[in-house]
Amino acid sequence: MSIPEQIKFKPKITVFHCFNAFSDPSLVSNGNFEVKSVKMACSSLTREVFLLRAFESGADAVVVLVCPVGQCDYLQGNIRAARRVARMKKLVDEIGIDGKRLNIYNVTRGDKSAVAEIIQKTVSDLAVLGPNPAA
Amino acid sequence: MIVGEQKPLAEIKNIVAPYSKILILGCGTCVKTCFAGGEDEVATLASALRLSMKKDGREIKIDELTVERQCEDEFLRQAASNISGSEAVLSLACGAGVQMVADRFKKTPALPGVNTTFIGILEKQGLFTEKCLGCGDCVLDRFAGICPVTCCSKKLLNGPCGGSQNGKCEVNSDIECAWQNIIDRYKALGQMDRLTAYYPARDWRNSSAGGLRKLVREDHVI
Ligand code: SF4
Ligand code: SF4
Repeated sequence: MSIPEQIKFKPKITVFHCFNAFSDPSLVSNGNFEVKSVKMACSSLTREVFLLRAFESGADAVVVLVCPVGQCDYLQGNIRAARRVARMKKLVDEIGIDGKRLNIYNVTRGDKSAVAEIIQKTVSDLAVLGPNPAA
Repeated sequence: MIVGEQKPLAEIKNIVAPYSKILILGCGTCVKTCFAGGEDEVATLASALRLSMKKDGREIKIDELTVERQCEDEFLRQAASNISGSEAVLSLACGAGVQMVADRFKKTPALPGVNTTFIGILEKQGLFTEKCLGCGDCVLDRFAGICPVTCCSKKLLNGPCGGSQNGKCEVNSDIECAWQNIIDRYKALGQMDRLTAYYPARDWRNSSAGGLRKLVREDHVI
């Protein structure tokens, strides 16, 4: 997928990921957007304040990558992460910067093409959403 | 524990609107346990407020601190310099904590960030239920350890009423009938004879109906 023409800024995406789900999302960066990766020992370490602080640090979108349901090494980390992200999406809406900027995805371990697709989808979404208005 | 819930962000924004430098003061006991006002909630709210204000083109300076218990001088004292350095304190404690801040720091506005909801228990992870209204004259011994004052929607001491159906309360079918639970527990304890006992009307002056309450422990007053 190519970068939509209408993008007038270089989107910054912060990716929180369980290092079991994916080793390094910055591998799929293509120069038109910036991917910052935050590795976690388990997706259960997805803390609400870290997601918001990523936006405070200038992220236009925040992506959380976790293992598929049933495949968390620590049993429920991915389920807990999904609950917290759902709650934070609402708060990001209340903040007024659009909850669509925050998303969580289940990724099969090591599936680089799935991660590349997620990043491209995020870049496309940001073409509509525009830059983070609170950055 | 005291159970509370953080106010919606829009309401908190209105409450802090007149100030540009505030302290968000958490409480590390009851409200921390119910995810309304511990360290994590202080940090998340501070971040959310900063983002929201920035989006509106406003700057706000937010100091963050959580003390063990806002309702005790011993702990609240630790916040003194943070409080004096702020235009206002947004307290994430229960209403008692907020009022303690207001009383001890008379020159600084104390603002509530939490709706204090009830005295209750952690039923299971993520679920808190109300158990006590603090009536000042506990009768749990007579009702098999289940409080009719709190758990019966009609506060009946001589229940059940005629409206209970399938173990649910007629006021709201999501609520268990307290009297069904009392009877089940009487049975389990072999105390069914208690059901025929008559309990006269209570003296509610020990509850909040008698005005502001105070407890003095002479042995601790110096
Ligand atoms: S201030 Fe309120 S929430 Fe904090 S410990 Fe005291 S009673 Fe509990
Ligand atoms: S009888 Fe009164 S003190 Fe005892 S649990 Fe019920 S409300 Fe609380």
